[in-house]
Amino acid sequence: MAGVWVLGENREQLFELLSIGRSLADRYGTTLVAFAFQDAQAARDCIAHGADRAVVLKYKGQEGPLDVFLPAIVEEVKGKDPDMLLIASTYKLKELAARIAERLKAGLCSDCIRLVFNEGEKSVEMERLMYGGSAIQRVVCLSRPAMATIPPGTFEKAEAGSGRVKEGDVDEIVQTHESAVTILERKVRERESKDIREARTVICVGRGFEKKEDIKLAEELATVLRGEIAGTRPVTEEMHWLPESRCIGLSGIQVRPDLYIGLGVSGQIQHVTGLRDAKVICAVNRDANAPIFGVSDLGIVGDLYDVVPKLVDELKKGL
Amino acid sequence: MLDIIVCFKWVVDEAFIRRTSSGDLDFSSVDYKISEYDRNAIEAAVRLREECGGSVTAVTVGPPEAAKGVKDALSRGPDRAVFAEDPLFGGLDPSQTAAVLGQVISSKTPFNLIICGEGSGDVYSQQTGPRLAEFLGIPCAAYVQKLTVKEGRVTAERKVEGFIEVDSLPLPALVTVLPDIATPRIPGVKDTLMASKKAVIKVGKNELTAVPPPLLKTKSVRAARVERECEKFTAEVEDIKRFVAALQKRGVLK
Repeated sequence: MAGVWVLGENREQLFELLSIGRSLADRYGTTLVAFAFQDAQAARDCIAHGADRAVVLKYKGQEGPLDVFLPAIVEEVKGKDPDMLLIASTYKLKELAARIAERLKAGLCSDCIRLVFNEGEKSVEMERLMYGGSAIQRVVCLSRPAMATIPPGTFEKAEAGSGRVKEGDVDEIVQTHESAVTILERKVRERESKDIREARTVICVGRGFEKKEDIKLAEELATVLRGEIAGTRPVTEEMHWLPESRCIGLSGIQVRPDLYIGLGVSGQIQHVTGLRDAKVICAVNRDANAPIFGVSDLGIVGDLYDVVPKLVDELKKGL
Repeated sequence: MLDIIVCFKWVVDEAFIRRTSSGDLDFSSVDYKISEYDRNAIEAAVRLREECGGSVTAVTVGPPEAAKGVKDALSRGPDRAVFAEDPLFGGLDPSQTAAVLGQVISSKTPFNLIICGEGSGDVYSQQTGPRLAEFLGIPCAAYVQKLTVKEGRVTAERKVEGFIEVDSLPLPALVTVLPDIATPRIPGVKDTLMASKKAVIKVGKNELTAVPPPLLKTKSVRAARVERECEKFTAEVEDIKRFVAALQKRGVLK
């Protein structure tokens, strides 16, 4: 037996993994299997979206720590010998992936952003960022299975095909072990408004803003462009001017909007890493030498307090 | 009383990596540092010791040059250090690092709690902590931003997409921590002097049962490139008009 296996916490993640998983499974000449947690419907949907088989990992009782499935997943891999495991890079799955890899004595490429099939060696070469996003490391796993975690948003979602789902395509693996960890509580982190990952236009607030109140300038621009507000790490995680869920960069979210406009963003590599897939990158910064201009399509050299109102006026005229 | 192990890595300071005119990475003038995530982990360990009593042992795996990092780590408050040292230990993959740490920890240092940074500043694989927990067969919580220890259990507030999950783990346990966990201190002259008096237990490769073969092979490391048009405008109204026209031309205005 062989196969390319994908594991994600929700449909969106699974569908993305299925699109890259499908192309790899075809190259290996093998099957594509999706693993979902608890949700049998999500598992069935995976078949509609290209999986040959789907497995739902079911809790015995209430939902709990994911590591209750760790022994069962490891056994399943040992028994069925897949070529490759692709796992969504969420906080919990990154931990689970590393623990699965350790038990299997398998190599794992963390936060893989590109996979290239090496036809001669029948292996997959995987690319990931290192040195704070300034370098691309290309690795191969010397183990079987090869493993990778893939950040959500890296690949397009696989489309649904019709008439794919048949009865009995979804298997069930029921939790076999208990976890040593008890979940005491789940606290809402902060108001999670529209996910900036999905936004077509993103206006990013950088340290060029002097105080929190001034963010309303960025909001005015966002309103006229119907975009979402995001921030750099200092503005979100350090100053807490914006929620952490709006942090773009290596420590935050990767976005791929049509339009990104950085206001007072200097362009540190850790931030720029989070927007490399934007279609058009624009920047407003009063420092003509700010690194952000080196990675922008269109840059305005000027004080954002002067430029943004002018820009809003001009955009209002045209829209 | 709590015996804490904090793991750290001596890494290339990426701020010193230059890009040559041909676009290659130039490491000729690099300096090294304790991985930033690990500085916060060390601070968290030291503060936890101040609350609960006990000890902090800083553990690292690295080449002989990492001795500088051991001294730096000790100036940040740990009581002692364990340094697994070998010229080959500069290029281990996460599974090998976890195996070496695991052997060193189980043979040299009794502990209740292991704290690791969420990932290292160079490779940022975020695997060593969870792999080490598996190696030692202890429970694990990753991406923790708040820690409390009480009655043989650790309560860990961990970051998850959309919310915070509060977990309770029986000791001994391992946590990987986010930078939010604690802001690292800046060691003073006195701390640096004190550090040179603290015990450093060195462990050579021959004292370990085995260093397993690597599971990952790096084929290449190249500079990341973002290729963009880099067209510049001024803040004059006429230029702003041209800017808006350029956006329109690219079809990104709705």
